[in-house]
Amino acid sequence: MQLKPRGRLPAAASARRQLMAASCALLGASAVRGQEARMAPADSGFLEDWSVDSALAYYHENGRIQAVEPVVNVSKLFADGQALDLNATFDSLSGSSPNGALTSRMAQTFASPSGKTSHGYTTAPGQLPVDPHYQDDRIAMGANWTVPLTRVDQLSVGGKLSDEHDFFSATVNASIAHDFNEKNTTLSFGINDEYDALQPIGGAPVPGSDYALFEKTGHKSKNGAGVLLGLTQVMTRNWLSEFNVSVDRFKGYLNDPYKITSIIDSAGNTTGYEFESRPDQRTRKSAYWENRVAWNQQLSTGLSLRYMRDDWGVRSDTAQLHLHWSLFNRDRYVEPTVRWYRQTAANFYTPFILNTNAATTAYQSSDSRLGAFHALTYGLKYAQKVHGSGSRGESEFSVRVEYYQQTFNERLATPAALQGLDLYPGLKAVLVQVGWRF
Amino acid sequence: MEARGENLLAVCFTAMASPCELLLPSGEEKAALNLGMLVAQEARRIEKKFSRYRDDSVTAWIHENRGVRIEVDAETASLIDFARQCFDLSEGLFDVTSGVLRHAWRFDGSDRVPEADAIRRLMPLVGFDKLRWQSPHLYLPAGMELDFGGVGKEYAVDRAYDLLAACRSAAFLINFGGDLRANRSLSHGPWQVGIERPDADRQATMILDLEHGALATSGDSRRYLMKDGVRYGHILDPRTGWPVAHAPRSVTVAASSCTEAGLLSTLALLHGARAREFLEEQSVRYWLLE
Repeated sequence: MQLKPRGRLPAAASARRQLMAASCALLGASAVRGQEARMAPADSGFLEDWSVDSALAYYHENGRIQAVEPVVNVSKLFADGQALDLNATFDSLSGSSPNGALTSRMAQTFASPSGKTSHGYTTAPGQLPVDPHYQDDRIAMGANWTVPLTRVDQLSVGGKLSDEHDFFSATVNASIAHDFNEKNTTLSFGINDEYDALQPIGGAPVPGSDYALFEKTGHKSKNGAGVLLGLTQVMTRNWLSEFNVSVDRFKGYLNDPYKITSIIDSAGNTTGYEFESRPDQRTRKSAYWENRVAWNQQLSTGLSLRYMRDDWGVRSDTAQLHLHWSLFNRDRYVEPTVRWYRQTAANFYTPFILNTNAATTAYQSSDSRLGAFHALTYGLKYAQKVHGSGSRGESEFSVRVEYYQQTFNERLATPAALQGLDLYPGLKAVLVQVGWRF
Repeated sequence: MEARGENLLAVCFTAMASPCELLLPSGEEKAALNLGMLVAQEARRIEKKFSRYRDDSVTAWIHENRGVRIEVDAETASLIDFARQCFDLSEGLFDVTSGVLRHAWRFDGSDRVPEADAIRRLMPLVGFDKLRWQSPHLYLPAGMELDFGGVGKEYAVDRAYDLLAACRSAAFLINFGGDLRANRSLSHGPWQVGIERPDADRQATMILDLEHGALATSGDSRRYLMKDGVRYGHILDPRTGWPVAHAPRSVTVAASSCTEAGLLSTLALLHGARAREFLEEQSVRYWLLE
């Protein structure tokens, strides 16, 4: 899914940092040596003072998938500075998903992944082949625990589990952050490790094998590991800058077991299909830079840029501008967001294989997510505070709407039989989310 | 020196018009008196140096030399520097020159609310940006006053803490009139600190368990004026000269130093109805009574 709720940003630079710096100048060693005040955890029961952030999202792609996604996040900041975050998400996706085959002038019949003829489907001439029985329920749970080690060092460990009927994923992560320069600078280092188990219906296909031969093996898995190095700097009292770089590497069965690629003859007629075949390693490097500026009591902006490249030939750029505008004595706010995204295609991306090349093609995938495209997202969030309810005497209702539009960039020379067909249908999607935080 | 329960020993004295104490684990009677002397001396040194009620203080000397450029000592300079930073970061809400307003406002529980004119006449004398400060040189214009009372007690706690921390690693807690700082937990658990809070017309005590760090409390207490059913609290907004409306009755903040905790609790009061919001933004531990 392209649209995902973004994590909440850390609180903007506060007067407190300035005050800490001023206190240090006045008190010298006393302020520097003194640790952050530490209260014994006895002053509130474990079950008290949790804050709850809940949301229900509805996602709809034009004529394809729709999803309903409830999200619950509960968190608690303990008296001694420790923090615990727990979250759970349930996704229910249904609809039809492109199987990778090319639109054709003829009807195309596909078997179900399990091979059962009763679940096969036929795509009409001129239509994009989609598997209409796409139905997936996903449940995901995550936990993150942050503990201050010293006044200036913080350790955070967490894990995530995600389960679908044909996919299981487990991730663990750990990071350490160190504050220095009167807490105006934070350096962080994080590692994560992911294990994914694929249990596709009917087994995982042999990459590049003929779709008609139905050559499938059992279950497959993949592993990923990554490191992240981050730097956050308070530039002025109203300006916070954050920079980080990360590298991650995946190994194992990296194919989508349900994606196939059409084989066509020189005239453009489909002569068969192959399961996609991706390399069994992928290394991604990315850099991210974000600047948040509070212009006045009402308006703050965030501008972020991300650059990513991998050894499959995919390079992507993301730019996002985000406004936070408080209204009515800060009881309400609106957040308009615009995001621009562009990526180049993987080296082995191809919308179809010519039958003369079929035997020599090492890697191929027609998965549009590996193609060259650009996308724009427009979002608007409106939130209103309600006083006198919730654990902090205040709760917040919000509504968020996002519109996503994807357009393909590269077009291959098209054989005669395919001319006039829309081989590169873009994607339009809408996300509506209502949230309640208390 | 007196025993506090089974486990604690207190050395008590009075300074800065407040009851002050040094708390130590019991069994240290011998050391207690010397350490207590050290703390009391430091408290009285700072009181003598910065009190606005004494005519031999640095504050009095600064006031005698209004209208001329003077050179202040290093400690005074660092306090003025601190005051300027607090003035800047609070956008004028915390202002050591606001003491002049006391000539108009007397919070004695009466209904003598000053004339708007009296306040208007004083306002040109309020504002840190009106004095000239280039450390260590100070030029205080005629009529203006400097008052370190808003930060003096907390500063004294931190200074005394430093003296003690340099010669002692075992647990201790310094408490000057409710503003306090501890270096570590007692062997049998955290310090149980009772914070007196003005709760309507009775005195409520809230017990907090402190392991280490500082707590400071600022309150609207019982100092106010009442006229035509309107309560005028004693927290004055230096930008208007009038009391801050809807200030909480009491704010306690935990921070690493007492000075920082004190500033945060004072600034919270000055934010009036937005005190809680201000504290949330600072992401500090706080206890607020409205």
